Amino acid sequence: MFERFTGQARAVVVHAQEIAREQHSARIGTEHLLLALFAVPEGLAATILARLQVSRSEIQADLARGGPFDADALAMLGIDLDEVRRQADEAFGPGALERTRAARSGGWRSGHLPFEPASKKALELALREAVHLGHGFIGTEHLLLGLLHDGRARDVLVARGVGLDGTRALVEELVRKRQAG
Amino acid sequence: MTDATQVAAAASSRDPAVGLAAVASLRGLLESLEELQVGNARAQGWSWQQIAQALRVSRQAVHKKYRRFGI
Repeated sequence: MFERFTGQARAVVVHAQEIAREQHSARIGTEHLLLALFAVPEGLAATILARLQVSRSEIQADLARGGPFDADALAMLGIDLDEVRRQADEAFGPGALERTRAARSGGWRSGHLPFEPASKKALELALREAVHLGHGFIGTEHLLLGLLHDGRARDVLVARGVGLDGTRALVEELVRKRQAG
Repeated sequence: MTDATQVAAAASSRDPAVGLAAVASLRGLLESLEELQVGNARAQGWSWQQIAQALRVSRQAVHKKYRRFGI
């Protein structure tokens, strides 16, 4: 499937892997693919997200909620995560809490990170979106459409008012313009 | 914590989605804290039996859970 990816779409996958690793994730999730779209600003997906007024920092903030340690959720229980983290740092060294295997959700892994099933599905759907639109390649815009079907990336995008149908129409319009220009 | 967060938390505390997510987050935090403490105990030469007693679980349970981590 990757042979039909444009250079920019490949770059997104590479960035997604790096982002997943930085976050100590054992797998490449749809949220990592979504953040990676912003890392390739020349891609059509980044253009579309900018036009829909969705920024990387907003998406990052959305994703931070409901992460392994959700500060807001814990605060609701009367637990101050910053204080817990401070105590753990003091006793076991900086970043001790985040370095635990439990926080990394999935144990030690090295080398290439596997895609989580939802990410695999999103890549397949990107291909399907490209075929459906009559495009002979898979670009960042198709990756964005693939991500809009299901998973965490879809959830945060929909919450920000970015839906599949509207985005698909925008992709069609922009690709047509790009081909005409 | 900001005032806005406090207000949001107070307003939504009866929302099961919020409450359950909070518990799930607490479980994650618990797992990490336990891991740190077990690792520290092992580093200080505690036996699995001693750790299990302190955690009030069976020796098998704690050993099975952490053995694979090479702690």
